[in-house]
Amino acid sequence: MSDKRNIQDQKRRLLAEKFELRRKLYKAFTKDTDLPNDVREKHRCKLAALPRNSSFTRVMNRCVFTGRAHAVYKMFRVSRIVFRDLASRGLLQGVKKASW
Amino acid sequence: MSSSSLRSLLAQAAVRGVAEARAHVFGHVLNPTGQRSAHKILRKKFIGEKVASWYPDDIQKEDPMVVQRKEQERLSKLEMLKRRGKGPPKKGQGKKAQKRNK
Repeated sequence: MSDKRNIQDQKRRLLAEKFELRRKLYKAFTKDTDLPNDVREKHRCKLAALPRNSSFTRVMNRCVFTGRAHAVYKMFRVSRIVFRDLASRGLLQGVKKASW
Repeated sequence: MSSSSLRSLLAQAAVRGVAEARAHVFGHVLNPTGQRSAHKILRKKFIGEKVASWYPDDIQKEDPMVVQRKEQERLSKLEMLKRRGKGPPKKGQGKKAQKRNK
C-alpha cells in the first residue's frame, strides 16, 4: 500500500493529470497540417520540453494492495493473487467461482 | 449512359449538400477529402481525473494518533541503531564516497 513503486506511480499520475491539457494542445498544434512549418516546430519543441513523467504512457496500473505491476485487473485494481484471496473469502460483491 | 452518370452526379451533390447542412446545424467538423486533421486528437475526452484517482486514500494517514505513534516508533528504532553504532554515516563517509575520495 505504501510501496516505493506505488508512491512513484502516484507522483506520475498527478503530473500527468496536471499537464494533460497542455500536452494535448501542443500535440494537436503539431499534427495540424494547415499550419506553417515553423509554428508546428515550435510546438513540437514545447511538447518535448514537458517533463517526462507527465506522459500517460509512463503510468502503470499497479495492484493497490501489493504493488504488483503485472496481472492487475482494472475492475478491481488488484493483482490476480489478491483477487483470488479476496474472492475466496467472499469480500468481493457478486464474485463467485465460475462453473457452467 | 450519360443519363445515369448525370443522375449519379446529382445524387452525389445532394448527399454532399445534406452532409454540409447537417454539419452546419450540429456544429460537426467536416473532412470530405479525408486529409490529416488535428480534430482527431481534439475530440477525445479527458482522462486525467480518472487516472489520478487509481489509488485509494489511506485512512491511517488521517488519524493523528496513529501517525504520531508510527513516527515515534521510527525515531526510537533509529535511536537504538545509533546507540549500537549502526546508524547512517555522515555525509561524505559512506562506502561509495570513500571509494571516490580515495
